[in-house]
Amino acid sequence: MRWYILRALLKKEFARHLANRGGIALALLLIAAAGLLSVFAPQQAAGNGTDMVGGVHHCYIEFDRATPLVKHLDANQPPELKSALRFEKIDPVAIGTLIQRQPGTGSIQVTTRFEGTKPVLEVHVWHPDGQPEAMAAYEAWFWKETRRALAAQVREKNPALPPDPDFSAGHWQTVEAHAHLKAQADKLGATVPELHVHRKGLAAPPLDFRSAIATGLVVFALYFSCVYLLPTLNCEERERGVLLAQALSPASPSELLLAKFVFYPAFGLGLAAALSGIYKPQVLSSLFFWLSLCAVGGGFLGIGMTIAAWAKTQRAAFLGGMCYLLSVSMVLLICSTNGIPFLSNLAVEYHGPRILHAALSGNANNSHWLHLMAAIGLASAWLFAAGWVFRRRGWQ
Amino acid sequence: MIRIAGLRVLYGAFAAVNGLDLDIRRGELFGLLGPNGAGKSTTIRVLIGQRYPSGGSVSVAGMDVVRDWARIKPQFGYVPDRENHFEEFTGRRNLEFFGELYGVPKLRAADVLKMVELDEAADLPVRGYSLGMRKKLLLARALLHEPQILYLDEPTANLDIHSAEVVHRILRERVKEGATIILTTHDMDEVEKICDRVGIMAKGKLVALDSPLALKQRHTERKVDVIRDDGERLVFDLDDPRAREHLAALVTAGRALSIRTREFDFHATFLKLTGLAFE
Repeated sequence: MRWYILRALLKKEFARHLANRGGIALALLLIAAAGLLSVFAPQQAAGNGTDMVGGVHHCYIEFDRATPLVKHLDANQPPELKSALRFEKIDPVAIGTLIQRQPGTGSIQVTTRFEGTKPVLEVHVWHPDGQPEAMAAYEAWFWKETRRALAAQVREKNPALPPDPDFSAGHWQTVEAHAHLKAQADKLGATVPELHVHRKGLAAPPLDFRSAIATGLVVFALYFSCVYLLPTLNCEERERGVLLAQALSPASPSELLLAKFVFYPAFGLGLAAALSGIYKPQVLSSLFFWLSLCAVGGGFLGIGMTIAAWAKTQRAAFLGGMCYLLSVSMVLLICSTNGIPFLSNLAVEYHGPRILHAALSGNANNSHWLHLMAAIGLASAWLFAAGWVFRRRGWQ
Repeated sequence: MIRIAGLRVLYGAFAAVNGLDLDIRRGELFGLLGPNGAGKSTTIRVLIGQRYPSGGSVSVAGMDVVRDWARIKPQFGYVPDRENHFEEFTGRRNLEFFGELYGVPKLRAADVLKMVELDEAADLPVRGYSLGMRKKLLLARALLHEPQILYLDEPTANLDIHSAEVVHRILRERVKEGATIILTTHDMDEVEKICDRVGIMAKGKLVALDSPLALKQRHTERKVDVIRDDGERLVFDLDDPRAREHLAALVTAGRALSIRTREFDFHATFLKLTGLAFE
């Protein structure tokens, strides 16, 4: 690596942006947006919910023992909810405590304990904060099948038990129906457990829309510089033949690559840091914030360079960036709404907004550090891939 | 200086260059001619390291173009057939950028701009340049680091007569200073005027290799066209003694209204050698 060549290449990138002021104009617009956000939004503007969309796309049925009730529930999943229900055996001590799941999920924890000789069916319903109605579809099924399971257990020994109510009519109520069943069973000398129902919010911190918007601006700044500006300007150079002219000069492909690897992340990180600093100056002293910024910036840089190396024209680079964004968004959405495990973890875009939002809202916990580690791993993989592809064909 | 031995370049099953052997001497201005698709530009691409040979070997100053590409690069200047400048930069800024990559002083940009007569337009953005100005700027860029080798792909295309003369003068000066130049062109006059040797390629192969003068001597038709006083046109082959006697008698008798010798026609020779001449 020769410094005078790197310096010339970096100066050239800078001069190109000064000459084509579109990138600078957009950066200034982002800074203005961050300034407005910082000045005009109320400090405690917050919304409820664990995600921007709301609702519960997956419900976990958590149990400590595979009791006949649990087996009955498992065997009687309705077709419309089958893909959304997940049965999981958990540690008995975890019953009644919150188990962290991805956003947009709820859970119903079931256990049977004894108060003396009296059985008690304890049910904990965990719903998104402020959205108990989001669990309605799952609860309707759960209570109906619980009622049927308990009635069936009584009916085994006492066939005289009156038939179940017409669940499809929608007239029955959970607690009343259970009390009614208990009264009927008591008359026949049979035991139906008492029902204790606990409803709790998932206790996720309320979503701070200001930090969410700030996160969006920061992610966009990194995406804009690394996945949009870098490939389009790189491909413009290739299309015009200027990249070849540089490659035929004493500058080696590694130096050309390094200059781009330095300039665009520096531009993106600088812009992202400025946006974050305007929104919340104290974040600039957070190690987690800087690590997150570098991980996401590195990941986007790798993606941008890979697109830049494959796309032959400026238009192809632009479309490549758009297609990538759309594809990843679709995959993440599908994985999220269908509970497809693991796949989302392979996308920088899955971890990036989470860690940046945690950094900007000052709520980084252990799970966010894990996301950060994953983002760093993915960024390294992308950068390696980008370097390999660029060296092989990027300058031609 | 440049040695090409058995060069083959394949694009799939198509051989763009098929067994090319060529030695170009130091300080020589070599013209590479051929119809479109003959393999000239592919040969240049191999020489500048933009295309790997499929077979054979190419060495420049004793170094292999593939293995020693990084060492060869600073030694040559290249003028592509298609201009490739930073449109948003001025001519001067373009040259200063490449000058920095080559590690030459900033003032060198002004020198070469003056050399190609672009000094007055030096501080205008390239997007405002004419095709000819862009072409001259390419030559200026190739000359920045005073390379020992110049590869020029149609360097005078789109240039007016004066600018083409300027380019020819610069090339001759560079050759005098010991530089080796390979140029491809379709301009036969240019070849005759400035090239020391000419290679004519067709279908990926070299079909003729000599100095323009030698080609001229070899391919000039020794014939004389005569229009007799009765209006009849006659052709006399000067290599035939009887035809020479007949011509002499005609002239002595004063019956020749017009006498013309057939001049060397490089264009016709080129067409004949490349198999493109109309029968």
